[in-house]
This record gives sequence, structure tokens and C-alpha cells, in this order.
Amino acid sequence: MAERAAIRTEGLTKDYGDGNGLFDLDLEIERGEVFGFLGPNGAGKSTTMRLLLDLIAPTRGSASLLALDSHGDSLAIRRRVGYLPGDFELYPKLTGTVVLDYLAGLRGGVDMQVRAGLAERFDAPLERPIGDLSTGNRQKIGLIQAFMHEPELLILDEPIAGLDPLVQESFHALLGEVTGAGRTVFLSSHTLSEVERVADRVAILRAGRLMVVDSLESLRAIAVQRLEVGFGGVPPPPERFLPIAGVRSATLQGAHMLISFEGSADPLVKELAEHDVRSIRSRDDDLEEIFLRFYRGEEG
Amino acid sequence: MPTFLLAVRLRLVGSLLAAVGMIAVLLMVGALFPAVGDSIGKLDLPEGVAELLGGADYGSLTGWFRSEIGAVYGPLVIGATAITAAAGSTAGEEEQGILAIVLAHPVDRSRLILAKGAAAAVGVAIVAIGTWIGLLTGVAVAGGGIGLAGITGLAVHLLLFGLVVGALALAVAAATGRKAVAIASASAFAVLGFLVNGFAPLVDAIEWLKYVSPFYWYDESDPIANGVDLGDLAVLAAATALLTVAAAILVRRRDLRG
Repeated sequence: MAERAAIRTEGLTKDYGDGNGLFDLDLEIERGEVFGFLGPNGAGKSTTMRLLLDLIAPTRGSASLLALDSHGDSLAIRRRVGYLPGDFELYPKLTGTVVLDYLAGLRGGVDMQVRAGLAERFDAPLERPIGDLSTGNRQKIGLIQAFMHEPELLILDEPIAGLDPLVQESFHALLGEVTGAGRTVFLSSHTLSEVERVADRVAILRAGRLMVVDSLESLRAIAVQRLEVGFGGVPPPPERFLPIAGVRSATLQGAHMLISFEGSADPLVKELAEHDVRSIRSRDDDLEEIFLRFYRGEEG
Repeated sequence: MPTFLLAVRLRLVGSLLAAVGMIAVLLMVGALFPAVGDSIGKLDLPEGVAELLGGADYGSLTGWFRSEIGAVYGPLVIGATAITAAAGSTAGEEEQGILAIVLAHPVDRSRLILAKGAAAAVGVAIVAIGTWIGLLTGVAVAGGGIGLAGITGLAVHLLLFGLVVGALALAVAAATGRKAVAIASASAFAVLGFLVNGFAPLVDAIEWLKYVSPFYWYDESDPIANGVDLGDLAVLAAATALLTVAAAILVRRRDLRG
């Protein structure tokens, strides 16, 4: 039976000592999904990806990619995977074209049209020495090399870092096409907003340990939402809202009240209906809150 | 193969410049001989110091080239070329974060190291050929006096000397992933080998140490006077092969840095 998972890790651990590294990671990423890997810098995201590519060896535990062992079958895996490291350099004196020719030569069988299409899509300056390029432009060359052989699995470490908004748009569109074709994307970020639009599921990593794996939808359901409510006349005292199920805080700011709550808005809306409500505005910084909570390790 | 070609390309200008520099220096050395040869003659130096300077016999053309090029300058240039190429293209690229992308491609680590080593060897060969051309022209400018066998002997011995110190740099770079460590240890080995080869023969208790020095195998047969010595070259070649194999094995056993 074909292995459903594009990536599966079991107890994957890289212990650098002093509490640094990655510990007992159990993760399963399905084929065809965009999986966001979130955590502050130093949480172990890059370490995980380097383990998957066999650039470093695990202290214990194992990983399989496309049903192949990450160490024993590494060459076969690397044929079918595209990787963008978080912090990379590419022969600064050479042009993008020369470097991409070299990397394509290492793989063999790279479709020049696909490569040219990517360069056009990202508007990548391929004829200038890479050392002269800005971070964003260098990142484009990194993305082209990761995508040019149309790999089944993409492992992208902070792919959006340094890209200007227009290029981010192209990148998001590309991710859509890639997953539409049944290919898998595993991407990391230290900010949620970067992956929120593209990821089906996310995992949050903190200090080398997995905190949570869930779909963005379910995370949204438990996210703290904030409403800014404007009342006609004298606003009711904020304490009135505190006993309502899900409400975490309510504070008065002039004529407006800021109410934050988790889960269903229903009980709160029913209570608000008792009052003369003139305006309701939703603050959209909802999800970051959960992530910050996981980052800091303050459970619920 | 792509890795070999790219590595050769990246170092080609540097190697050619080193070769051209070598030719220029040898031409000057040759041009100076008629003026200097008679006035200096053979220096009266303590045995060990004279040994370090390749005999310090400036009275004959063979002695002049042996001291000016064979003893220090030649090994220095070819050793520096070999060590910087071997360490820079491996540990250097690893520290820069280039190898993280390259090794995410379907490339075997050992083969990558071997390709880089082969490319460094091409750079060393270019400098050795420059030395050969330089010796031919330098000797001609000086009015002749060293045969083709001696000229070829010195150039080939230099080539193998460069290969062996380069292979050491490659092995250390492959084992540690640290460019500075690789350059420092290979350079220290060459310098210590130079001193040991000069002084160890003077002290019976440590005379055997000279066999560890690449300089001993490089110059004990006096190649500029006697031509190539296949036995000595075989020792240097075997050491080069051993260190290269060690590099290919050691690079597999560790985490990539950067």
C-alpha cells in the first residue's frame, strides 16, 4: 500500500546539549498539503529541515520522506525534493544563470522552460553576479533552484523572508499550483501572517518541542477574537460582560468597549443585543495571539 | 562532473596568475644569475641553515635555482595554491552556506569532495606547468646550464609536493568543515616539515623525523640536478592518495556546518 504521508518523523531528536536542538518530534505531513512550521527563531525549525535532508544526523529517532528513509535513501529523496535553506549563499561572483546551470547539471533532467517560467514569474535578475543582489533577489534564485525540477516535495525554510509584496503574491500563486498538482509543501516561518494565507495545517514549535499541530480553521476556533463595540448613550459597565462564556477581557476606551473572547461569539452577541449597540468592528489580530501564547508557553 | 568543472572555473584565474607570476619570477632569477653568480659564490653558512636554503651554492646555475626557487619560493607558492584551493572549495563553501544547497541535490558527499580535490589538483598542475615554463626560460636567459631532465624533475617534484599538502588540507577540511583549521594545519605541517627536514638530520635521535616531512621526499634526491626520482614521487603520491581517501570517508561522518 502506498504511504500516504509525504513526511513522517518518529521521535526525531537532535540534541545539541544545553537544551538546544529538537526533541522527540512526531510529525506527519500528508501528500498534497501545505504545512506551515511555526516557531520563534531558534525553536528547531531549521534543524528539523536539515535532518530531513540528511545534512545533519539525528541523535535518535527517524524520519521518512516519500516513504523513503531520510538517511539510507537520502540520494533518492534528494532527487525528488526541492529545498530552500533559511540562510544560504551562492557563489557571489557568479551570475544566477551560471549557478542555476550548475545546480540543474547536478540534478539532470531539469526542464529549461520550467526554469525560465519561474525566473519570469519572480522577475529574477539572473545576469548579475549574485554577490551584487539584494536579499530579496537572492532569495528568488533560491526559490527557482528549489522549484525548477518540479519536485514532489518542497522543504522551504523561511521562503518569504525578504520578498517584496508583489513577489510574495507570485509565490503564493505558485504554491497554489504546486499543491493543485498534488505536490507537498513544508514551509517554515517565525510569523504566522506569512503562512496564514497558504497553509492548510500548522505546527508550532517552541524550544525544540512540538506544541501543537492543527488546521488553521481549528486554531481560529480557539483563537482569541477582539471586538470593538460602540454604544449609544452611556456604555454598560465592562464587568457585565466578564461572566459571559468565552469572554477573557472587557475594557472601556472612551465611548468604545474592547472585548476579547474565545470560541463562539454567540453568548456575547446575545448579551450585546440587550444594549444600544451602534457599531461593531472586528480587530483582525486574532491568531497572532494564540501563537504568542504558544510561543511563551502559557497554555490556554 | 559539474562540480569539478565549476570548481576549476572558480579558481582558474587565480591559478593562471600564480603561474604567470612564477614565470616572471623565474625569468628575473635567471636574468640575475650572470651578475650575482660570480660575486656571491658559495655562502659559508652553518650546515643546517645552508640546508634550509637548498645548499646556498650561488656559484653554479643549478645551485642558484635550487636555492632561489627549489628551496623556499616554489614550495611556498605551490603549497599556498594547493591549500587555499582545497580548503576554500570545501570547508570554505560549507561555512558560507553554499554546500547546504549543493548537498540538497542528489550528490554524494564523498564524490563532491573528490571532485573539489581534483579541481584543486588542476590548479596545482597549472602552477607546476608555469614553473616548468619559467625554469626553461629562466635558464635560457641565464645562458643555459640546467638540462631538461633537471627542469622537469624540479617541476614534477613541486607538483607532487603541492598535491600532498593540498590533500592534507582537503582531509582536515572534510573532517572538520572549518576552513581556517584546514589552512592552518596544512600550513603548519608544511612549515614544520621544512624545519624538520633541515634540522632533524643534524640530531641522530630525531633523524627519522625527516621521513615524515614532505620536504624530505620532495628534495632529498635533488631533482634539479638529478631529474625525477620515481621512488620519492611514489611516496608523495601514495600519501596524497591516502589523505584524499581519508577526506572522502571523513566527510560522510559528520554534520554539515553553517
